[in-house]
Amino acid sequence: MKSPSVESTRAVPVRRRIESVLRGFRAGVRSGARICLAAGVPAGVRAPASACVGSACVASVCVLALALSGASCQKQSGTKIVFWQFWSADVINPIIAQFEKANPGITVEMQQLTWQNGFEKIVAAVSSGTQPDLCELGSTWVPKFAADGVLADLTSDVADMRDDYLFWDSCTLNDTVFGIPWVAGTRALFYNKELFAKAGLDPEKPPKTWAELSACAKKIHASAAGVYGFGLNTGERYILFKKFMPLAWGNGGAVLTADMRRPALYSVQNIQALDFYRSLKPYSLVEKQDVLDMAFKQGKLGMMISGGWNLSTVPSDAPQLKFGVALVPRPAAGRGSHASFAGSEILVTFAKSKHKAEALKLARFLVSRDNVIALSRAAKSVQPALRGAEDDPYYETHPLERTFVIQLKTAVAPPAHPKWVEIEDEIDAAVEEVLYDRKASGEALLDAHKKIEDIISRP
Amino acid sequence: MTLRARSNPRPIHSGRSTLTFLSPWLVSFGLFWLFPLAFSLVLSFMEFNPLRPDLARFVGLANFGAAVGDPLFWTSLRNTLVFVVGTVPVTTLIAFFLAVALNRKIPFRSFYRAGFFVPSIVSVVVISIVFKQLYSPAGLVNKVVELFGGDPRSWLGEPGTALLSIMAMDVWSSFGYYTILFLAGLQGIPPELYEAAVLDGSGFWGTLRFVTVPMLRPITLFVVVINTIRSFQIFIEIFVMTRGGPLNSTLTSVFYLYDRAFYRFEMGYASAVGYLLFAVIMAFSFLQMRYLRVGRGAAE
Repeated sequence: MKSPSVESTRAVPVRRRIESVLRGFRAGVRSGARICLAAGVPAGVRAPASACVGSACVASVCVLALALSGASCQKQSGTKIVFWQFWSADVINPIIAQFEKANPGITVEMQQLTWQNGFEKIVAAVSSGTQPDLCELGSTWVPKFAADGVLADLTSDVADMRDDYLFWDSCTLNDTVFGIPWVAGTRALFYNKELFAKAGLDPEKPPKTWAELSACAKKIHASAAGVYGFGLNTGERYILFKKFMPLAWGNGGAVLTADMRRPALYSVQNIQALDFYRSLKPYSLVEKQDVLDMAFKQGKLGMMISGGWNLSTVPSDAPQLKFGVALVPRPAAGRGSHASFAGSEILVTFAKSKHKAEALKLARFLVSRDNVIALSRAAKSVQPALRGAEDDPYYETHPLERTFVIQLKTAVAPPAHPKWVEIEDEIDAAVEEVLYDRKASGEALLDAHKKIEDIISRP
Repeated sequence: MTLRARSNPRPIHSGRSTLTFLSPWLVSFGLFWLFPLAFSLVLSFMEFNPLRPDLARFVGLANFGAAVGDPLFWTSLRNTLVFVVGTVPVTTLIAFFLAVALNRKIPFRSFYRAGFFVPSIVSVVVISIVFKQLYSPAGLVNKVVELFGGDPRSWLGEPGTALLSIMAMDVWSSFGYYTILFLAGLQGIPPELYEAAVLDGSGFWGTLRFVTVPMLRPITLFVVVINTIRSFQIFIEIFVMTRGGPLNSTLTSVFYLYDRAFYRFEMGYASAVGYLLFAVIMAFSFLQMRYLRVGRGAAE
């Protein structure tokens, strides 16, 4: 601090200087605003945004400095592996702590991703060479990453694990294994027992066949105003095929041929399934996933095909609701199967990762029987990608979750094609076109079939 | 330029300190805006998969050709144009008349001013999630419709109403901001003009027509241009509420290019679409500047 007398003698030039700076600053902001405007961006929106980016930049530099100092400390004590995953810290951290305890010399730096932006983040990290050592991927992403050659080949490393786990197809491309299946999620039939009773149906006998599903939906819809029998997904991409294809797969249909070289969408089985799906519309609520989940919680939806996340969200949001879970109905008694959509989460390491051996050690620890069941119990929305998990004592006392584990056995994983994201888009479009009566089932599936043929044949 | 030079007797010296004080902003602007802008321009002439930067190659105008040949590109552009043409005039008219009303001496004036402004300080994501619930089959909108004897419907679930519903939400969430801009403009109009108009026997509409509208022309131009640019870039609402569906009825240009860039890794193609959109926005802004500016001289 300067003394007041010095301050007062300097006051005038300092103020003048500040004024001149401010003038320059205003001019700069003005010209900046003009540039923003020219770039097609409202200045009012952009200026604070760039300020935010600036401060975020400063913050990240600080974080980086901290991380570097932390890294240099840890270097003396052993290897540090970076692990990116999607579970909340309270679910995953106890398991990681156990791993670090069992493996002195290895420390794990865990980073939590979100399903909203995790994909973009992984892509950015891989393209800039800052990929983690171990990473959790959604199964539909694996073929794309594998085809681009960014994943490490694990074929010989996991040879001894193949018999104990499910979903190897989702992480295999051209007979090369690129990951380890960790947990899996599937879709099952949720039904409201009270609405069943009110409609004169037996709440302990959920529909097992298409005909029963249709009859139940019709009765529930007729039982009260504002109540819908079934939930049909629409209005969202990347979700629709997960609801329609279970019926098609159960009827013997497929998206691609077994060798994945040609589409198989235009088939009698798929047309029958889509016709049946469309026939449910008069008794159904046609909406997006979260709206369907909400309607189910409000007791306005009799049945829907939905995922394991409802096992924890429905009881917590609507404690009074009595609901059951059943397998996805099959075409008819003795015909077809109780197929469903299966998505899995895969642990991968990258071709450029630095600590592959340690990463594999952690992966084996995470997928070990006890740990993967502990994770599934805590999360509820997924089941272990483990053979014979339904015999675990935990699932014998939790029938709703057990249904999911059983459903997994007949569930079908989408073909592990590198262009699956584009292929599923065409299925979604066909389902929507039929639901909104733009096209008949055969025509819509034929169009999608042709487009998928183009997608596959394109290099 | 002459004005600035006159008010600044030591341009060299102040230029240096100006630069110093501006440098944080200049660096972030250069790094996060200018560089990406130039980079995406280069990308738009390339085939570029972010996972395989080694395979990047120049393809000339092929990306632009592919975009113009893709029916989905035109669907997205049409939806975006419908959005812009449907929301900008409505928002501007509501904001204008609301500002005129709020500029009069009415009780609780500042309460109304604050109230109308509130939606524009709420995050778009929050607004989108709230409206998703309002538009749901058991939501408030359907309750109101039923009250008046209408049939409830799935507002965001039907191709015919999804885009309209999002447009209505956009008008609601944005008119407050433009109302405040118009209010600021109204308060800059000298009261003598209104006194003279009253003395000349001008009524409410006459005063509006011959004093308020011409005097507000600069601010109107600003509101329309800014709102048009913002509306062309509609993305968050779509991302949160519909993801382009159903049946691509809410697929807008920015969502289309986002999908291409981050789900299909076609960064070059997405950049080309971005620059095509940029050209459309430029053309619109140019036309607006040209036609809304007429008569400005008379007002000044």
